[in-house]
Amino acid sequence: MQEHILSILIFFPALAAMLGFVVHKDSAKAYGITVAGIEFFLSLWLWHIYDPMTSGMQFMEIAPLVSAFGINYMVGIDGISLFIIVLSAFFTLIGILSLTETRRVKDLIITLLFLEMTMIGVFSALDAIVFYVFWELSLVPMLYIIGAWGGPLRIYASVKFFLYTFTGSLVMLVGMLFMAYFYYQATGQWSFSLLEWYRLILPVNYQMWLFAAFFLGFAIKVPMFPFHTWLPYAHGQAPTIGSVILAAILLKMGTYAFVRFSLPLFPDATVAFMFPIAILAIIMIIYGAMVAYAQEDIKQVVAYSSISHMGVIILGTFALNVEGISGSVFLMIAHGVVSGALFLLVGVIYDRRHTKLMSEFGGLASVMPRYATIFGIMMMASVGMPLTINFVGEFLSLLGFYKQSHSYTLVAGTAIIVGAIYMLSAYKKAFFGPVTKEENKNLKDLNKTELYGLVPLVVIAIWLGVYPKPVLEPINNSVEAIVQLMHDKAQTPEAKKRIPNLANTGTMNSVSEVH
Amino acid sequence: MELTLNHYLVLSTLLFAIGLIGVMRRKNLLMLFFATEILLNAVNVGMAAISHYRGDYTGQMFAFFIIAIAASEVAVGLGLLIVWYKRTGKIDLDQMTSMRG
Amino acid sequence: MEIYLYTALFSPLIGSLIAALFGASKKTYFTGVLASGLLLTSFISSLILLTYVMAGHTVHVEMMTWIATGDLYIPFGFVVDQVSVTMMMVVTTVSTVVHIYSIGYMSHDKGFNRFFSYLSAFVFSMMVLVMSDNFLGLFIGWEGVGLCSWLLIGFWYHKESATWAANEAFIMNRIADLAMLIGIFMMYWNLGSLQYDVVFANISALPMPVITWIGIFLFIGAMGKSAQFPLHTWLADAMEGPTPVSALIHAATMVTAGVYLVVRANPIYSEIPDVGNAIASLGAFVAMFAATMALVNRDMKRIIAYSTLSQLGYMFVAAGLGAYWVALFHLMAHAFFKALLFLGAGNVMHAMHDELDPFKMGGLKTSMKWTWILMTLASVALAGIYPLAGFFSKDLILEVAFVEQHYILYTVLLLTAGMTAFYSFRLIALIFHGDKRHLEHGIHPHEAYTFMLYAMAPLAILAVIAGMVFKTPYYLMVTELLPAVQYHIHNHTTFWIMTIGTQLFVILAIAYAYKKYAKAVKVDKKVESGFFYQLLYNQYYIPKIYDEVFSKPYLQLSKLAWKQIDLKIVDATVDGIANIIYQTGEKTHTMQNGNLSSMLRWMVIGLVVLLVLAVAFTAGYNAVNLRAM
Repeated sequence: MQEHILSILIFFPALAAMLGFVVHKDSAKAYGITVAGIEFFLSLWLWHIYDPMTSGMQFMEIAPLVSAFGINYMVGIDGISLFIIVLSAFFTLIGILSLTETRRVKDLIITLLFLEMTMIGVFSALDAIVFYVFWELSLVPMLYIIGAWGGPLRIYASVKFFLYTFTGSLVMLVGMLFMAYFYYQATGQWSFSLLEWYRLILPVNYQMWLFAAFFLGFAIKVPMFPFHTWLPYAHGQAPTIGSVILAAILLKMGTYAFVRFSLPLFPDATVAFMFPIAILAIIMIIYGAMVAYAQEDIKQVVAYSSISHMGVIILGTFALNVEGISGSVFLMIAHGVVSGALFLLVGVIYDRRHTKLMSEFGGLASVMPRYATIFGIMMMASVGMPLTINFVGEFLSLLGFYKQSHSYTLVAGTAIIVGAIYMLSAYKKAFFGPVTKEENKNLKDLNKTELYGLVPLVVIAIWLGVYPKPVLEPINNSVEAIVQLMHDKAQTPEAKKRIPNLANTGTMNSVSEVH
Repeated sequence: MELTLNHYLVLSTLLFAIGLIGVMRRKNLLMLFFATEILLNAVNVGMAAISHYRGDYTGQMFAFFIIAIAASEVAVGLGLLIVWYKRTGKIDLDQMTSMRG
Repeated sequence: MEIYLYTALFSPLIGSLIAALFGASKKTYFTGVLASGLLLTSFISSLILLTYVMAGHTVHVEMMTWIATGDLYIPFGFVVDQVSVTMMMVVTTVSTVVHIYSIGYMSHDKGFNRFFSYLSAFVFSMMVLVMSDNFLGLFIGWEGVGLCSWLLIGFWYHKESATWAANEAFIMNRIADLAMLIGIFMMYWNLGSLQYDVVFANISALPMPVITWIGIFLFIGAMGKSAQFPLHTWLADAMEGPTPVSALIHAATMVTAGVYLVVRANPIYSEIPDVGNAIASLGAFVAMFAATMALVNRDMKRIIAYSTLSQLGYMFVAAGLGAYWVALFHLMAHAFFKALLFLGAGNVMHAMHDELDPFKMGGLKTSMKWTWILMTLASVALAGIYPLAGFFSKDLILEVAFVEQHYILYTVLLLTAGMTAFYSFRLIALIFHGDKRHLEHGIHPHEAYTFMLYAMAPLAILAVIAGMVFKTPYYLMVTELLPAVQYHIHNHTTFWIMTIGTQLFVILAIAYAYKKYAKAVKVDKKVESGFFYQLLYNQYYIPKIYDEVFSKPYLQLSKLAWKQIDLKIVDATVDGIANIIYQTGEKTHTMQNGNLSSMLRWMVIGLVVLLVLAVAFTAGYNAVNLRAM
């Protein structure tokens, strides 16, 4: 079983979803919880049997699909993908647990289980075609969730989401085909295997074009400025569960793909594009925060805050050193937990009042103290308070990029200021002040179902903030391998200089070096 | 004067042009079939000529193929045409727009 | 000794967590008593550690790894040395007193349990701040106290002004924290570590500009927490919080964190005396600047807040001039008498039903005798009258400025000392002497609970003896770690003239304040409408300027970014592109009109285009190939 754990993780939810069609609709939720629970325990078991000290791929499986073109069903994980997979399984479980949707629950749960398959598939695929297939497949359940259970503008939002991300991925597909063709030219064999691609050193001008092609696909998914406008619509219209999964997992596909594809495949192009992308990241950080500050709808505040935080993740990724990339991967997990929790929390108040406008609330702290407390903790985590999960990632990402540029980091660091501004003012509007609206006077505080979903998230947000080691260590080991690979592959002197060589380190540890 | 390959090719081109104009201008379905036949035969002439010129029989073989297929195409086409005529009493192309997008 | 260290550190946390469990339930004195008891435990542990440190040892523990990736290794490490133990003593003493006092002060408040949870959490953060053995650990505490400060300023969250002030404090501190983070980044990439011992051992090997920038960035961080100009406005607004909070956080402990940072990082600042001079100058400026605002203000708590700001300026003068132990000494003495003053103000507020304008009080010395005595004592100590604490610590800073030959700083500080005496006793005179103006408002004051007064007693004793008794042993202890520089004016005549002159100056200022305000209060309309009075009363219009220059434009710009840029440019472009494609389809679908002959025509056109392209490309390809040949 251990050898096939990844395939089981990928296809179990899908098979269970098929079976789900015959389950009676009243027991659909229980069925969903069971399946997602089993899946989550499988993912925990995966974490348990994962060897954190190895940096390479583990639990690899290969089965030929189209041998003539070197397309194989190939999956495997390392420290970077492991935790996003655990997070995917976790959020599917939390999402189903705290589901309050009453319309066509069975369909929704089946859709969610399919979505889980595609998510885990994306993060464990090691073959470009398999990756692409799961990447595109993940659009379908999400399109369905937004389009079927969304708000009044749901059709527009879902079509926009689908077409926008789809356009980007098509360009990415062309890039992949070219990449395989270059591989064919260089070796005389077709291959879509990522691990074999890693070994290929491309001429710098090819790298530039391929980087750009991949970039478009990933940037739209992240979403990076100026490709971000599908996100507010998608979040604004999606039901709570859709927003949670979208923010917690789906956005991470873009940043994950940067680490998995762009960096190790095109190190020279990465270095060449580092500063333009850093500028985009800084725009995301500040612009996202400003737009978030201007919002009247609390869900949009969280949506735009995602853009701002994703900017920090991008910045950390393009720091190109172990500190920065580890930090950005950690921040993917952290942002998943925190933004997922915030969307759940927004869903709670939406269920009660059927509005998300902050002007409709005010003084909730005295009516719903438990809700206000959990929201406050998650807000502080989002703001990057030390000893919460976000701080570790944000600190490391910014620290990493500081090595590349002082001034950029200084500007990007305003993330901690502007982040505090929109979050605190949103919190103040919704929770502080007197209770002015009659409808709010008798709102019920969090009930048990909601607490089941939220308390684990609070625990994780604090636990990993205080003791990030269990997650950070495997990430670190895998990131070191990637950085070393990039350094070895780099051809331009600029890239050699920017990407540290870890093989002869110890320089930073011994301070005597400084003298 | 000896007939060279060029003569055949000029003939083929002329036939093709006549057929093409027929295809574009004619509104009568029957005429359209004629024009199509001219087009096909233009190609046949060209193929047979080049085949002879190069001493390679593939071209002539294809010409026979085309003649056979053209015959069957006309058979099917005329069948459809008759059915259409029976239904509507017209074989004017401009009337046939049930595939409008 | 480790057990005492952990006890001192974690008992406030335990208190906070237990109180938090009862956060939403009904008021129970149990939480307050428990939190105070645990604070007392922490105090006793600190005391034991103090004796241990006095004997010449230090304790250094590494609890566990926190962040480790790449070459970065940051543990939860704690150190008890001469500097941190001083801070621990100050923090635990004042917070124990404030905790016990708060049981009385908050006894009528719905959020009693919540209050103790926040207050103990604050103490925990502060202990982390002072005990950490690395800069990032300090940063945990730094942000932690910021968080608790946010919670406590906004404690009465139904009040708009309180929540506004809380957010202002948090955000303004965040600005400074960014600079501090940058300083930390610089240290890491240049030295490879954030541990104090490693950083301090190697700092001198760095190039001068790097040290300078590190020093500047760290100091900007300190400016935020210690509310130095231009990041000072939050401190006065922070007075919206409950008064014990003002005593503990915004007078005695948190705001002095900046001073602590500079003292702790003294090996860095010793390398860069120019930055030190800048710090000292800024400190002197703030001392005077804040004192002037205190002269005319009509809000009891704000006056004391400005006085705190002013005293922080003094501390920075000492720290900037390299007299680190003097700065720390004044920090300690100031913590005692300023906390006492605030707690006294709390008693007055309770008696006056939360009235803050001293012009509406008066003659309270009869009904609140003990509060009167305690506050007067604190004010005397603050003014620096012999033999109270302020004399030893504050006058020492004047001497430092004199000995270091910064005569301008000396003059500024001397003038400020006069102002300090004046505004302190203006407040005392207005509150406790003169007519009972509050009777017009139908208020009948009463003294605070006896146990609250008893709780204040230790502070009163410390305010009296801290200077006289502690100075020498403190000096001997702390100079094990800090540069041991004695500041003596060697010329005896100069020394006596200065000391007696200062004392006389201060006493004159006190006398003037009494004369002007103790009998009847005459409101001089002409002075009050004057430019200077209005300027000072409106705090140099700085809050207004910040509002106009930063807050409002930021909001406007944000709205612009959303409504104009995001919706009308970025999103409209995307929709526009989609629309173009859609419209192209709309326009061209007439081609598919189902007419066979027109479709045939299109087919012919397509064929011709393809043929032309094929010919053109073949020709082009051949041409390129020929040239290549």
